[in-house]
Amino acid sequence: MDLILQQSVNAVALGGTYALLALGLAMVFSIMGLINFAHGELMTIAGYVLMYCGLASVPFVLAVPLAILAAMAAAMAMERIAFRPVRNASGATMLVTSFAVAMILQVVFQNFISVRSQPVAIPDFLGQSVTLGGLVIGVNKIVAILATLVMLVTLELFMKRQKHGIAMRAAAEDFAVARLMGIRANTVISAAFALSGLLAGVAAVLWVSQRASVDPLMGFTPVLKAFIAAILGGLGSLRGAVAGGFLLGFIEVFLAAFLPADWQAFREPIGLSLVVLVLVVRPNGLIPAATLKAVKV
Amino acid sequence: MKHFLIATTALTLGVLPASADTLKLGLATAQTGGLAPFDAPVVEGIRIAVDELNAAGGIGGDILIEMVERDVRSDAAQTAIAVQELVDEGVEAIVLPCDADPSLAAAGIVADAGIPSISTCASSPTLPLIGGEYVFANFPGDNVQATVSASWAVEQGHKTAFILYSPDSQYTTMPLYFGDVVTALGGEVLGEATYNIGQPDFSAIATQIAALDPHPDMVMTSAYEPDFPSFIKALRAAGVTSQVIGSDGIDSPTTFGLGDVAEGVVFTTAGHATEGSPLEAFNALYEETTGAASETVFNAVGYDLVKVLEAAVGVAGSTEPGALRDAIAGLENVQGATSLITYAGTDGMPVREVTLIRVTGGMRDLVGQLAPDASLIPAPRMQ
Repeated sequence: MDLILQQSVNAVALGGTYALLALGLAMVFSIMGLINFAHGELMTIAGYVLMYCGLASVPFVLAVPLAILAAMAAAMAMERIAFRPVRNASGATMLVTSFAVAMILQVVFQNFISVRSQPVAIPDFLGQSVTLGGLVIGVNKIVAILATLVMLVTLELFMKRQKHGIAMRAAAEDFAVARLMGIRANTVISAAFALSGLLAGVAAVLWVSQRASVDPLMGFTPVLKAFIAAILGGLGSLRGAVAGGFLLGFIEVFLAAFLPADWQAFREPIGLSLVVLVLVVRPNGLIPAATLKAVKV
Repeated sequence: MKHFLIATTALTLGVLPASADTLKLGLATAQTGGLAPFDAPVVEGIRIAVDELNAAGGIGGDILIEMVERDVRSDAAQTAIAVQELVDEGVEAIVLPCDADPSLAAAGIVADAGIPSISTCASSPTLPLIGGEYVFANFPGDNVQATVSASWAVEQGHKTAFILYSPDSQYTTMPLYFGDVVTALGGEVLGEATYNIGQPDFSAIATQIAALDPHPDMVMTSAYEPDFPSFIKALRAAGVTSQVIGSDGIDSPTTFGLGDVAEGVVFTTAGHATEGSPLEAFNALYEETTGAASETVFNAVGYDLVKVLEAAVGVAGSTEPGALRDAIAGLENVQGATSLITYAGTDGMPVREVTLIRVTGGMRDLVGQLAPDASLIPAPRMQ
């Protein structure tokens, strides 16, 4: 029983990080119909800022907001430079553009920073653990869970109460009508990218603090997981992205923990089969986007 | 136009040194992608050695090394294409990427062309076995590294082990060799777990190890960045304080910057810069050439590779590929930057020193440079 509880804590912490990432993808998708595969590179940028801050002896508490701000700025720059010119192009064009952005950034990191991963100074307390009612919980797990909660609650309030949040929801529902009501397309899209950058930045801090290193290809795995989580939850649905992230976290951790040793080699395909199974039952995801134009056939 | 072509062709022929005076070395290595962290520093070391040799007039004072470089982008198919291009360009020796898998993709091509090839830093003992007589390695084999670390660990009184490996690459299965040696020495493997390279989270596995009662004396893995830091942080956070043993993939500044969690970790690697050693001299040369301190022993491993070629050209007395291959296969005690290197009597996996390093207070602490007991070295594991 203890083992199940312990693994559940692991799953919530991992799922939370996935949820933040999937939410960042979903935010942009809901408004622009773009799956931004360069989302992972925003994490890498935040990671490098953490690394340079460490080298310049900037305290970690300052380095974290700087890294997150850098990810936001990079996301907005990405939109302005790469995605705005293809905004009205087909979904495939935008998808290929995002792959190109990701690859260009990876090569830039490899050539101008280092091909080798670089160490990032992480405060020691994040590596420690506390005992809570018989459970040994790592401090970084607690931080990850708290950060996820704070982000999700803040975002929920922002989208419900704040003017820009409401504008974004309107744009997600029907961009043309929202524009007729006087909502500026550039502002809304830029804000969506900024928010996705914020989420990528927070996820990057959690991700890097677990690895203590940053490398040029760091963003690949997380964005892939986020993509799976976003599909699982219902593409374009923000609540769905969060649900998908947590479910994916649980699937991965519980398979790693309880699958018999002989089966462990097939962990990844089994995990993905479970995802497919969920999609067979709910083709539009766990919590489908209200405006999803997909038709069940 | 015709006259211009004739004129330029004549000019080029006149300018290029006669082929007997150059060794045309083809580099098919990963400068981008997942293997670049290993290949790029090795190629840096190769360049330093080639520049040093050429500045001194070339191998034996008269054979300059001319490099033709291709980026294989860490991709097996691209490696085969690049190697075919190099063969077509008439290179006389080829450098293959760090991992056994892309190197094997090119094995058929180098064998058909009869051109000797050396992998930058692949350490799987299966590489020359599967690759054939034209493929050589340039690193202590996985089975040799595991024998050294397992023998040391058992000698220290560690009897029970947990191994963590990944079937994703040959290199990451090294813990299986470790388990074999520990068992052969009377120890016991309490359990094993697998991971995927780049796996986001290791806490499930850490919890599984923490649930063992009693905890294993040692945990062995050949995971490298970013997996190793992630794993050891999760392991220590789960309350497991067992001796952790790693391999050359974690010989990187990140490991030494991990702080408390990595304290006491022991790993095998290709060399250690003791006072007055060739490695210390290489590191000084590296700093002088590039203006920065060498971050990794893979720089020196690249230097080793050129020393092997230099020695082989010396023995063969020519740069003819067939003669070069035979010369490499018969080399004994070539002084590289990291170790003495011997190919004679092996199937292409060199005999080199294995160094054991302990992480102490964020610094490298030399445990020993040990020769393994040959009877304990497990046979290469074919996957």
